[in-house]
Amino acid sequence: MKAACSPKSKTSSPISKGFFPGLSYVEGTSSLHRVHPGVKLMLLISFSICAMLVTSVAGGMLLLVILISAYGAAGLGWDFFIRKLRWILLFGLMMLLAQVLWVRTGVLLWHFQGSFFSFEVWSEGLLGGLAMVFRFINVIGSSYLFVAITNPNQLAYTLMQAGLPYRAGFMLITALRFIPLFHLELNQIKNAQMAKGIDLEGLSPAKLVRSIRYLLVPLVISVLGRVDTLTVSMEIRAFGLTDHREYRETLLMSKAEKRGMAVIPLVFGIIWAALR
Amino acid sequence: MTPVIEINQLTFTYQGEQNAALSQVDLRLYPGEFITITGPSGCGKSTLAMCLAGFIPTAFPGEMMGEVLIQGHDTRKYPEGGLSGIVGLVQQDPEGQLCTLTVADEVAFGPENLCVPPEEIRSRVITSLEAVDGMHLFHRQVHTLSGGEKQRVAIASVLAMKPALLILDEPTANLDPRCTREVLQVLAKLQREQAVSLVIIEHRLEQVLPWTDRLIRMDQGRIASSIDRAVMLQGGLEAASQTSYVPEAFESCDQSRHSKASDEEVSVAEQALLSVEHLQAGYEDRVVLSDVSFQLSPGETVALMGDNGSGKTTLILSLLGIIKPSGGKIWFQQEEMTGKKVAYRARHMGLVFQNPHHQLFENSVWREALLPASFLSETSSDAVEEITGNLLEDFHLIQYREKNPFTLSLGEKKRLALVSVLAYGPSLLILDEPLVGQDRERMLTLMNVLQYHRRQGGSVLMVCHEPAVVETFCQRILFVKDGSIAIDAPTAEAFQMLKAQGHHEYLPACGHVQIGEEGGD
Repeated sequence: MKAACSPKSKTSSPISKGFFPGLSYVEGTSSLHRVHPGVKLMLLISFSICAMLVTSVAGGMLLLVILISAYGAAGLGWDFFIRKLRWILLFGLMMLLAQVLWVRTGVLLWHFQGSFFSFEVWSEGLLGGLAMVFRFINVIGSSYLFVAITNPNQLAYTLMQAGLPYRAGFMLITALRFIPLFHLELNQIKNAQMAKGIDLEGLSPAKLVRSIRYLLVPLVISVLGRVDTLTVSMEIRAFGLTDHREYRETLLMSKAEKRGMAVIPLVFGIIWAALR
Repeated sequence: MTPVIEINQLTFTYQGEQNAALSQVDLRLYPGEFITITGPSGCGKSTLAMCLAGFIPTAFPGEMMGEVLIQGHDTRKYPEGGLSGIVGLVQQDPEGQLCTLTVADEVAFGPENLCVPPEEIRSRVITSLEAVDGMHLFHRQVHTLSGGEKQRVAIASVLAMKPALLILDEPTANLDPRCTREVLQVLAKLQREQAVSLVIIEHRLEQVLPWTDRLIRMDQGRIASSIDRAVMLQGGLEAASQTSYVPEAFESCDQSRHSKASDEEVSVAEQALLSVEHLQAGYEDRVVLSDVSFQLSPGETVALMGDNGSGKTTLILSLLGIIKPSGGKIWFQQEEMTGKKVAYRARHMGLVFQNPHHQLFENSVWREALLPASFLSETSSDAVEEITGNLLEDFHLIQYREKNPFTLSLGEKKRLALVSVLAYGPSLLILDEPLVGQDRERMLTLMNVLQYHRRQGGSVLMVCHEPAVVETFCQRILFVKDGSIAIDAPTAEAFQMLKAQGHHEYLPACGHVQIGEEGGD
């Protein structure tokens, strides 16, 4: 359909609605939001490496406490954490259950003998499972937080100004610009095909196959049309003319942020050394 | 005075094509001049724009003869990208041409690529946004802008390159009258204050002509006529109407515009074909339509008007059941449709979307034209094929029968989408902006077919932003505002009400070409 004169919402498919919790930037004014994107990236990398290396339950738990505190400091809170990570938490719980059921080494902690089955909990199964779950939640949760508090535009410009080739940086920016547009386009194509009498209502394997058949071709054609327009628009404005480009604004780090860049890896190094 | 553009005997043939897209074109454009290029679909307007922007012959290969001089230099002798900063191009699609996330970044994008110093970039961003009256958009996210605002930002983003020439390829094609007026006012201001040379390619001339210094009409790759302002002042409407949607263009078409189909033409019951009662619909938690009620009678052509975002699209999607209404009822020929499946409703209500790319699927024009009928038609396949063949002939598409529909022009694709719906014979046709991308001749063909449809007892509900067309062809206007039907009245009366409510851009008076010495405003 036509370009809207005011922003339009779109029909959301039952698949996308609620099944994959939205992973996007959440505007805010918290101190974490205001931190330079480079520092946040350093925090994410250091935290994630630490979470991967720490194998103890206590270490994993401490990192989780730090992570949840960060959600709070960002003004997102416990509710946001649970809502966005509910499928991750559920998956983590299943991983824990699998570890407890199948790992039978260490000390026997609990034994249950029923009429038809028996059930045992061993120390290495429980502790190994918990450590794995903490690691999983910490890594995914920190990535979610990073995305939620980091303006992707600022991040892309920061990376380009830090030396990332600008052509690669603009791949990220144009992707961020066009992915929602293509989602909207897909909905419009679906509407158009339904209006032609193609039954795409409801969910069934046959309808899924039909959807792919009738939606994919128009979507690809539509995307290619947009790419043509975009290419002309960027080239007429000298994109790719030189190897270097200037920037309207340079995102500078404060002295504290520069110090933070050095201190952050050190802090997480200490945590790893103390709690591994 | 040295011309900004000098085209001498330009002929261009696309690679793999037999016929030349441009043939022996000669053109001069001087600094500060505003020329409008018009002509039927496929006449070579956009090809000429691509030549001026330097994309032909580098990006679109083919055989080029003659020369295009920009500021005295042949475009083929400029280094790659060398025309950036001299020529600016604004395209039709307001969405696809913006590549960054914020307005300030978008306007800065060009100067940043030209390695202009940051201080100068910041200054150019402000100057360019001021030139399009867009400083209030400075901090906005691109995706939150309206269509008109996006086009203004697109214009600002090329102005920031300080071009000597600005080319606009149908910049208002996707905009409603209000947004169109916004964009054209910006162009008028640029011409008045910055002396930028402007080339605008446009089908809809009514609002452009007041500022045009020269109107160039193209046909079959050639410049068919060039009318100076002085001649336009003398000839006025007569000169312009050769290419425009102004009412005079319809004289031969329809003589019974303000009456429903006569009793001889159709025997229909007096009851409504479609009846909508207290319809309420929206998306997730947002109510878009509230308490919408109206009726359509057999033999009526009704215009659905209103600003973009007012709820027109939601309304037509709700009629088909693509959006499930949260309240109200829809009756079709006294059968309640609320709750029926889309595929069932589509048998009676044929919807043609504005963007034909969303509806096309098959690999030949013939198969595409037959596709909806294979799902929805209740008549024999032989009969459907005969009807389809006739329709393809009527719409000048039969010669493309075995061609891939995606290779057709925009106007041809739109006609094909309409043919595919007409082929299975729904009683109600719902058309979303069917005139976009159609030249006068194609538009007349389309309107004649719609007239035939309503004479057979069918009805047409048509989203249309051409007041002159609405005045000529529609018996009634539904004007949607903020999700409600603000006006539901016979055409003449509705125009009076629109005037009283200050919606002057929707009035056919705007469609009359009035050229004054000072230009319009």
